[in-house]
Amino acid sequence: MALTRRSFIAGVPALAGAGLLGCTAAVGERESATTGNVLYATRAAKAGSKSILVCMPDTRQTSEVWRGLSDELASEYELVALRAEGSNVSATIAGGIKRYQPSGLVLMNNPTVDGYRRLQAQAKSTAFPPSVIVMSSFLEGNQAKLRGATGISYEVPLITVVTNLRKLIATPIDRIGVVHRPSLAGFVRRQAALAGREQTAVVSEEVSQAPNSSEIKRALRRLKQRCDAIWVLNDDRLLTPRLLADGWLHGLNEPRWVPTIVGAASLVSPSQSFGTFAVLPDHTALGGQAASLLLDIADNGWQLPGSGAAQLPLSTTTTVDLSQAKERFALRPSALAQVDKVLER
Amino acid sequence: MGKLLVYLHVAVKQRAFQSLLGAGLPGVTTTAVGRLADFERGLQDSPDAVLTLPVVLAAQGLAPTLRGLARGSNEERYALVGAGMAPEAGKVGSVGALDILGREGTNRFVKRLVGQQARIERVTKIEDLLPLLQMQRVEAVVLPSRLVSDLRAASRLSLSERELVVTVGLPAASSVGAGGAAVLGAIGRMPRDVSKLLGVEEWR
Repeated sequence: MALTRRSFIAGVPALAGAGLLGCTAAVGERESATTGNVLYATRAAKAGSKSILVCMPDTRQTSEVWRGLSDELASEYELVALRAEGSNVSATIAGGIKRYQPSGLVLMNNPTVDGYRRLQAQAKSTAFPPSVIVMSSFLEGNQAKLRGATGISYEVPLITVVTNLRKLIATPIDRIGVVHRPSLAGFVRRQAALAGREQTAVVSEEVSQAPNSSEIKRALRRLKQRCDAIWVLNDDRLLTPRLLADGWLHGLNEPRWVPTIVGAASLVSPSQSFGTFAVLPDHTALGGQAASLLLDIADNGWQLPGSGAAQLPLSTTTTVDLSQAKERFALRPSALAQVDKVLER
Repeated sequence: MGKLLVYLHVAVKQRAFQSLLGAGLPGVTTTAVGRLADFERGLQDSPDAVLTLPVVLAAQGLAPTLRGLARGSNEERYALVGAGMAPEAGKVGSVGALDILGREGTNRFVKRLVGQQARIERVTKIEDLLPLLQMQRVEAVVLPSRLVSDLRAASRLSLSERELVVTVGLPAASSVGAGGAAVLGAIGRMPRDVSKLLGVEEWR
């Protein structure tokens, strides 16, 4: 049975009020419930190894990051993952640091980073171990407000998005349109500069800080006349239920058709033509990338190496709405071998 | 017929690779993995045979029973690829490579190819090599020469390549369980297009 527009929206976590990083039950091995907040723990092969404390909410995505982290680090370090959720995040992190005396920290998602920021603000003279942040949106700003922190951005860079889209769509993809609020203009500019290396031009339409549906529709109509694809930012303020129903879906589901690239799998559904193609971070690989950062920090005597600038995620997974893609666009013959997940009516 | 564990990196997604192997090896239960940790976990699951690079088999204390050949050789050439000037082994400062043997093993393996001076950045999929060049995280990436055309097709960067002198063993299989012989027999009869994806023309 086809979903109605409203039921589609209700099914999209971001739009149903759960945030773009909406969660499901965790999977994988876990410690006994008697250990309180401990979600996972590993023992290193060598006794007396240094420890790394991981603070994370309990979700499928974070457990995948944990898997990538622990596969890389568990033989050398004691790893402890604490559940950091709700109003006690700062206290959980503080307790974990006190108990496990970690050489390094891994912080997953925005509320965890916010909790750690509060903890650092309360203890200005305390020395904190170096930390690696993952799964935090628009990290550049957040990281700057923390001491001794580096990390990996959660947003898949446009250059990666376009590279993936070109493997799928047979027609040239040269100009990408993006709708953004003024506060994300800098982010879009940096992404455009990077994408320029792959001969990709970015055409942006700036809407107001709190746009209405008409602004979104107008921006999309303008972009669709000038661009080969639309890139939808993971900006909660642009993807509210009302804007999605009355702005985005109207604007996108009228000719001229152009592929729509989104950053959340839930925005690709064959029942409702919104995203043609989703490009998301590969969470297990993200854990591996975070582990490499920690190993570099360890090699540097547990100090952040170099500038400590945030990295971009290297590995992605892709999902395509094949029904929409076949109906509206010319696909490359090898397209389906280059996609991780294919959705079809 | 038996269970086969495959740990190889190819130019298609894992989903497509698994499906091609399933169709190409009728009667064999095939599991394709792309990360060393998954391969090591898969080995605990008692497969009858494993199919991977000889260097990976050696690291697990296994010997090849069936070897892939191309142009009469069981070794293949690798290439260094960079954006702009062709990178030179022995001089390149940072190299991106597939993580086939974990941190230390991969570092040793890649430094044998490109020189001890190189800092190695590991990735778990072939497609992740290109972002290393796009984001200027490394000066060059190293991969089998047969895959360079796929890298070029995916990018508009001005890529240059240089073939390396040291060669690397082509995929090989090892029998590790009771049904190993039957599984190796099926690999020997694998359709040409699936073998070609692995860089192999024939099995001996």
